[in-house]
Amino acid sequence: MSVSNLLENWAQFRHFHPIDDKPHDPYKWAMSIDLDACTGCNACSVACYAENNLPVVGKEKYQHGHGMHWMRIERYWDEGLGVAGGSDFPDHGAQFLPMMCQQCEAAPCETVCPAAATNHTADGLNSQIYNRCVGSRYCSANCPFKVRYFNWYDYPTTDNVWPAEMNQQLNPDVTVRSKGVMEKCTFCVQRLHAAKGTAKNEGRLVHDGDVQTACQQVCPTGAITFGNLVDHESKVHKQWQSQQVELDKDAQVKDQKEGGSGLRGYRIFEELRPYPSVMYLERVRESAI
Amino acid sequence: MIDSGLDRRDFLKVLGWGGAAVALSGCGNTSVEDGKETVVSYVEAADYVIPGIGVYYNSTCAQCDAGCSINGRVREGRVLKLEGNPASAINRGRTCGLGQAGVQHHYNPDRVREPLLRHGDKNEVITWDKAYALIAEKLSGAKGDEVAFLSGGVSGHLKVLLGNYLDSIGSKNHFVYEALAPAVVRAANKKAYGVEMPRYNINKAKVVLSFGADFLGAWVSPVHFSQQYAQFRKGVDGQRGVLIQVESKMTLTGANADRWIPVRPGTEGILALGIINALGTASGDIAAAVKGYDRARVSKETGVPPGQIDKIAALLKLRSPSLVLAGSAAEGYAHGSQNAAAINLLNQVLGNVGKTVEASTSVPFPQMAPAKGNTVALKSLNDGLAAGKYKVLFCYAANPVFTAPGAMKFKDHLAKAGFKVAFAHYLDETALQADLVLPLDSALEDWGTQVPEYMTEGAQINIQQPLMEKLHANTRGMGDILLALVKQRRAEEYKSFDDYYAYLRGAMLLNKNALGGSGADDDTFWNETLTKGIVKLAGSAGTLSGKASAAGLTLPVPSAADVQYPLQLIPGVTASLRDGRHANQPWLQESPDPLTTIVWDSWVEIHPKKAAELHITEGDIVEVTSRSGSIRAQAYLFPGIHPDAISVPLGRGHEALGRYAKGYGANPFQILDAVFDQETGELAMHETRVKVSKTGQRVVVVKDEGAAGGKQMGRKIAVLVTTDEVDLSKEA
Repeated sequence: MSVSNLLENWAQFRHFHPIDDKPHDPYKWAMSIDLDACTGCNACSVACYAENNLPVVGKEKYQHGHGMHWMRIERYWDEGLGVAGGSDFPDHGAQFLPMMCQQCEAAPCETVCPAAATNHTADGLNSQIYNRCVGSRYCSANCPFKVRYFNWYDYPTTDNVWPAEMNQQLNPDVTVRSKGVMEKCTFCVQRLHAAKGTAKNEGRLVHDGDVQTACQQVCPTGAITFGNLVDHESKVHKQWQSQQVELDKDAQVKDQKEGGSGLRGYRIFEELRPYPSVMYLERVRESAI
Repeated sequence: MIDSGLDRRDFLKVLGWGGAAVALSGCGNTSVEDGKETVVSYVEAADYVIPGIGVYYNSTCAQCDAGCSINGRVREGRVLKLEGNPASAINRGRTCGLGQAGVQHHYNPDRVREPLLRHGDKNEVITWDKAYALIAEKLSGAKGDEVAFLSGGVSGHLKVLLGNYLDSIGSKNHFVYEALAPAVVRAANKKAYGVEMPRYNINKAKVVLSFGADFLGAWVSPVHFSQQYAQFRKGVDGQRGVLIQVESKMTLTGANADRWIPVRPGTEGILALGIINALGTASGDIAAAVKGYDRARVSKETGVPPGQIDKIAALLKLRSPSLVLAGSAAEGYAHGSQNAAAINLLNQVLGNVGKTVEASTSVPFPQMAPAKGNTVALKSLNDGLAAGKYKVLFCYAANPVFTAPGAMKFKDHLAKAGFKVAFAHYLDETALQADLVLPLDSALEDWGTQVPEYMTEGAQINIQQPLMEKLHANTRGMGDILLALVKQRRAEEYKSFDDYYAYLRGAMLLNKNALGGSGADDDTFWNETLTKGIVKLAGSAGTLSGKASAAGLTLPVPSAADVQYPLQLIPGVTASLRDGRHANQPWLQESPDPLTTIVWDSWVEIHPKKAAELHITEGDIVEVTSRSGSIRAQAYLFPGIHPDAISVPLGRGHEALGRYAKGYGANPFQILDAVFDQETGELAMHETRVKVSKTGQRVVVVKDEGAAGGKQMGRKIAVLVTTDEVDLSKEA
């Protein structure tokens, strides 16, 4: 498959959210994150560094926006904080949001890549092919979630990123990226591959619970659920279903019902129609206090 | 391959060496030629070692004392990642960020690798034999009470061996110092409940009222409490648990509260008594004691609106059982014990004792229970050092030169000790003052047992075992060193133990029956123990004996404003850096602080209103001056702090330790005043008063937070709903 072929027949290769002739079968990896359980502790982020060979860039490069945290915790304050008529204090605490690649079904990053380095897999991942990436960074510019991270430097040869001994911790299942390529959360694709391989050897499909992403496995409150959305036995499927969030809709029941639906599942920037594979459950606060 | 000019023979050698690397487990830092005579092919690989396939071993996390069980993934002889061990009742398969970084402690490039004899600023590499001989020589010239041993919170067999060693020297001077241990709360709990650390059932509570207990961040056993918290939020019978956090500086737990209440620093106990008063259910001496704490007075002294006190009381009355926690923010004052006592009294009045506060279980081997201590011990050591009492001082798992309050002048007094031995992973501030530095194995290379202070259902002894072969040939396990040292004095008694492993195995097998191995043969029992990484014991359930009483409870009226030092300094305890011993792990330096999102540096949290008053904007380098000293750091405008207080996080500001720690940030320990809790004598961490002045310099704060300063600008990114808008009972 030459690049020119790819470019000429792009529409054919680009895979939208499931349509009749290309259903997600047998896998569609998806996630749900309960913001009422998330405490913002950052364990997921550190676990991601450990699993995915993320470089520690240091203070100066971090200041330049070069931090490589595929999984980051965003912290928000109430809109009324510190403004006229509002409170001087965060009376309801802060709002934490774990943010990583949303593995969009109609990913804005995919359409703009001049080298077809980022595209969609049959099991619903937004994949990044490092050796095809030419570093145009169009994808990052086009990502509404700002979850793509560019290798401005050759980190493996940069001082104090992986000095002697520290390099022995690198996960051999994950590529160490070099200068000039884009990278991002992969839903721990190396773990998915291993699980699919094991299941295939045993002549079955991957069961719910066979595979966990690194962030899910570490989470002290179990806020992150990950699994196969088309497996009706999976917890992630049940959660999406009970929240009535549908992968291929750009408006969910929750937002349409007048007078409130009692539901709390939503996807970020639904209105931009990227069809994310991550559902968040709204943070809850007690009304009686 | 062709470019590098390797021929076929060299190529095969490389492949062969790959096999040896597995057999020897992780000698990747050696050259191809070294040790080629021991090259063994994969035909003879150890059991379970298959190239490309991970092997998993259970052990115990040593990043803090909570005792989470870990499961290490080892591939080709190298440990790659740590996961939680699902079989542990403490962490049930989970870990925290600090625990994840354990591999960076092991692979850290700044570890001490050789025994070092220090002459001023120069290091001389010596052999272990010489080091041991030197210790024997110095000890021979000292009487028992001229020898002191300072350690962190040791437990398990190491504690027993350490005790035996000190016994053999004839020294009773074991000082246990953990700078952030909840020493005052322990004492208050002992009075109120009869135990120092009861079992808290956050998951069974309908309301948790926490006075500065950062149980989701860095308090006691955060991974365990986080799991309880998740259950608590799901709720009993679909009724979601409500968290109210009272503290002057927002902690991670405060950031997750339904209602965060910024109380005037030091008035936590007054608020607790005010709530007892508002409940109106107390009788007898308690009712009499709280009689004076009416809404108006309490509101005036604490700064909490009267309506808020009523609301809290009403909710506590309506939803039972609840749980009231006294944490580090409440205990950090000269009247910290009284604060904690008032808070515990509220728990008793609410009838929570026996429901959400239960007796803890303890291991049937009290000699293995963790040694506890805080500044009282350090103070006593410091006084002895100042008087020139000690000829030999050992220091293990503590860095008092960094963590002792500046007013104690510990570093100066330490110089008066005759011969100082530091057992160290890094050349930290204390090791740099030592005469002899002995390099330790990392926690992932060493053998050991650990008994956590905070137990859940049942008791457990945690096993620590090497996950891989040692990285550096000349580091030793602490147990091995102690065994060698004790053999110098009691050779006969310990001659049957070649190393600490043999000692540990022998000691465990000796108690096989009590450890649940009755009937099993020795090897089976031992192998099973190592496989599981945990020995679960029935444990003896203690009883809560305390009686609710207000006797002796007196809380001081908040002091008038100090004109010279108008602000209260609250040293911030963050989940990842804590007392700073792990600051050289780069993942932790680059992991943004959850609340400010700042990386790689210290900061001064100051309320925007106070900042406006002082004309301070974000990034101004400010000087924080106390009676004991001053530090400089960047200002960060933070709404989650009382305007009369500022907060600087602990853990950074190292002058040594390693490349990722040295020179980053400022160390607030240095400017802490020597103010102590009146009852226990422990350091009152929050009693230091400071003034803040601008230096005229300004920097760009390096943080994750965007230009909008944490506002969503009307977009629905992180969405908040109130309980009356959702139906949680139908969720999957």
